[in-house]
Amino acid sequence: MGDGNRLGEFEMLVLLAILRQKDEAYANRIREDLEANAERTVTRGALYRTLDRLAAKGLVEWDMEPSETPERGGHPMRRLWVTEEGLEAVRHSRDVLLTFLDGLGRVLGPR
Amino acid sequence: MILKPPDRFVRLLRHAVRNDPAGPSILGDLHEDFVVLAGQRGAAAAGRWYRREVVLLVIGRAFHSTLATFSRRGTMVTLLSPRGFRQDLRSSFRTMRRAPGLYLLLALVIGLGVGATTAVYSVVRPLLLAPLPVEDPAALVWIQNTGQGASLSSITSRSSNLRDFRALATSFEGITGYMAFSDQSTNTLMVGGEPEQTFGFGVAADFLVVLGVEPLLGRSFTAEEGEWGGPRAILLTNGFWRRRFAGDAGIIGSTVQLDGQAHEVIGVLPATFDFASIFTPGKRVDFLTTFPVSDETDRWGNTMFFIGRLRPDVTASVAEQELQRVIGSLKEQQPERWGLGARVTPLQTHIAAPLRPALRLLMAASAAVMLIVCFNVANILLARSPGRSREVAVRKALGATRGRIIRQLLVESLIFAAAGGLVGIAIALPVTRFLAGATGMAIPLLDRITIDGPALAFALAAGIIAGLLAGTMPALQVAEGRESDTLRAASRGATGHRAGRRIRELLVVAELAVACVLLIAGGLLFRSFEAVLGVDLGFEPAGTVAWQLQPSRRFQSFDEMTTYYRMVTDRVEALPGIQSAGLIDGSPMGRNRSWGLRVVGANVDPEKPWTGLFPHMISPGYLETMGIPIVAGRDITARDTDDTPHVVLINETGAREVFAGEEPVGRQILTGGGDEPWEIVGVVGDIRHLGPETEPGVQVYFPMAQMWDFSSLDLVLRSRLPAAQVAAAVSATLAELDPAMPTRDYWTLESRLDRTVSARRFTLQVLGGFGFAALVLAALGIYGVLSQSVAERAREIGIRMSLGETASSVRRSVVGRTLLLAGAGIGIGVLIAQAGSRLVASMLFGVRAADPVTLGSMALILIAVAALSGFVPALRASRTDALTVLRAE
Repeated sequence: MGDGNRLGEFEMLVLLAILRQKDEAYANRIREDLEANAERTVTRGALYRTLDRLAAKGLVEWDMEPSETPERGGHPMRRLWVTEEGLEAVRHSRDVLLTFLDGLGRVLGPR
Repeated sequence: MILKPPDRFVRLLRHAVRNDPAGPSILGDLHEDFVVLAGQRGAAAAGRWYRREVVLLVIGRAFHSTLATFSRRGTMVTLLSPRGFRQDLRSSFRTMRRAPGLYLLLALVIGLGVGATTAVYSVVRPLLLAPLPVEDPAALVWIQNTGQGASLSSITSRSSNLRDFRALATSFEGITGYMAFSDQSTNTLMVGGEPEQTFGFGVAADFLVVLGVEPLLGRSFTAEEGEWGGPRAILLTNGFWRRRFAGDAGIIGSTVQLDGQAHEVIGVLPATFDFASIFTPGKRVDFLTTFPVSDETDRWGNTMFFIGRLRPDVTASVAEQELQRVIGSLKEQQPERWGLGARVTPLQTHIAAPLRPALRLLMAASAAVMLIVCFNVANILLARSPGRSREVAVRKALGATRGRIIRQLLVESLIFAAAGGLVGIAIALPVTRFLAGATGMAIPLLDRITIDGPALAFALAAGIIAGLLAGTMPALQVAEGRESDTLRAASRGATGHRAGRRIRELLVVAELAVACVLLIAGGLLFRSFEAVLGVDLGFEPAGTVAWQLQPSRRFQSFDEMTTYYRMVTDRVEALPGIQSAGLIDGSPMGRNRSWGLRVVGANVDPEKPWTGLFPHMISPGYLETMGIPIVAGRDITARDTDDTPHVVLINETGAREVFAGEEPVGRQILTGGGDEPWEIVGVVGDIRHLGPETEPGVQVYFPMAQMWDFSSLDLVLRSRLPAAQVAAAVSATLAELDPAMPTRDYWTLESRLDRTVSARRFTLQVLGGFGFAALVLAALGIYGVLSQSVAERAREIGIRMSLGETASSVRRSVVGRTLLLAGAGIGIGVLIAQAGSRLVASMLFGVRAADPVTLGSMALILIAVAALSGFVPALRASRTDALTVLRAE
């Protein structure tokens, strides 16, 4: 893969969050997951920009799902999923991370 | 119940995401969170959250889309990379050399704005931004009394308050104070056998310790020196030490005669701590002595201002609450105690308070000038953009990237902006130097106004920001141009650019609107200033000269004193050119104190048993000298002595307010602390003793032969000769009578009056300058836009004229366009001015914010200037020769 698809940390986390939620991923749920489990504050603007960027890179795709529920004021929902290229990018990042973590167990201590 | 997010913000968000394919889902996401939050924390909290979230989102998107514009095709990267920078500089300079006049104009325009803002910044900084020149100034607070009225006596405190606050309040690390009335008399310092009139301030012994000021030489006062009858010591201010003792360090430990008593010189204050500029702006302070906090000084009543240093973590309001509790318990223990009260404000706030409205106004005005500057520069650059587009198109065709072109245009902006910054500094330097050197202005910390590092940085930053702001839009517009279109249009001699012209006309309207706001503010201040100067003071300041008399001898009796002073006035009156002379304990716009008054035989209001009054002790002849009329009864005469019945005069306000329509002459009053009644023998005209902007209040005149409550007297005389000419003869006569009395310093009441209006004049002058600059810039803008549009439309005008349109009708259409722009600008300006009139409201005197005279005359000025600036282009248009233009096609 080329330099263009190298993932930033936040992009990686967003992709993983989408994968964790299987077919149920949309912006609010991704944000909740990141805030609750990655312990970071996620501003809405940053999340939308990242999603747009990932889509532009072809790592995620989305579809507009109509919604009639009052909870969303009748506005549709953007369902997201990770593409094959996205999965490849995540795998690559994981491999790099694991290579670099290998042998550092003593320094970093147990989880 | 169906909860809905705030409608306006939903619309705002919808508008912001209208081009985003995922936009509708963003609306849904926010809605969903809103509903959840409303369930948890209520609709109001959720509404607040929604508004904030939308604003953040919209701002963030705008910011990133701007960034994206720049980074298209690597623009941002190019912008920031050092590569080719030198070449950009070189080609910028080349461009500028081709039109030196234009770039000089740009630098001057920016310089004007930078000069104005920098001068204001340098005035504002010491007052509002820079810390006071003492240790940890943020912890210092000003403590004053809570009395009503304009006199010093109502806001100063008794020294027993200081003693008890120190003992009982725990919010403070220390409380100190100074004698507020110190500047109302002078002190005679004997050095080398010659008397000199000097100005000292009495301070509590721990004054410098609480303020955290270390003497430059010597030491601070000791506790013994702060006691009643303790050793006498003085601390010299830095300026006085340099001027009078030539900065001689050997002076420490020596003894000087001050008011006939030996004082030890114990130290010299550092140059950074200028007592006068902080506490008594516009006045001169030569030394500090101690003011004892003792039973003796407490008997003098309200005399002191206090300064406290708060303990860490204590705020001014907490300290004030504690003092209120302390005061409450003191009143309980001593019900008869009077004069207790405390209002606590941070010291810096207190010092800047009188000027805060003026400073705010000046800051707003300088920002407005800067805004006009930016509009103007953008306008000039836009006017050039058709020409530049051709050049840029050629460069693009030769392979230059968009980023490189934007960068080169911005580098150009930076160059003339930096040059503008330098011009601005050149303008600001003399202005601030003039301000800092201005003595006699009642503006605190004037001595600290300088163009220093921060001010220089401010000037350059202001210039560069203005240049970039003004340069970005034209640069983007120029760089946007499609090469093929532009080149084709250029070859045809472009007539289009209608959109460009629209933008530039809008800019001109904006300029005119801002200029209109400034002119209205300036006009209102001018009318107020006129009103202040037009106030009837009740006396005639022109032609008066005054001296403070500090006789070296002590008088044993009223008789001895009156005889001596009568001789002084007789001798002075006998001098050629002197019309009359009189004495008073404190001439107008100088001393200021208040006493209580009660009418004998009248019902006493238990809520308010005493009426406040300004006491004056005068000699026969004073009222005549001042031109104060006797309205009823008689004047004080030489026959009113210590042995005759005690008499007073009351002013018209007093007669009206105290006696409510009854005849005051013949009635008796109690005042001045004694039990003996004073009979009112005359009613005199009101005078504005404290200055033109303060109501006269109740004033009572005592014969100085019967009321001896003064520490010095002012000799006032009236003469037709110039003050300087009178002064020499009078000084010589006084020196003859008392060789040990300083006689050189005199003043005129006109100069005193001048000082009381100095802050007003200062604001008016600065604002007037801004208004003028704004007017020039706006005129320039109109001229530029119209000449450009006439040049662009030459072809159209030529055709119209060849079809029979007359020159005068062409002129009318151009001038009509000008007036349309001017009218729009003025309309918007007037609306803004009315909306923002709060800023000037507190500075208006005798005029309303919606003053029709001001609004009308300012509109007329603007229309006249607009018509003039539009006339030259109109003339040029009407001389268009149809044949020449069409042949050039």
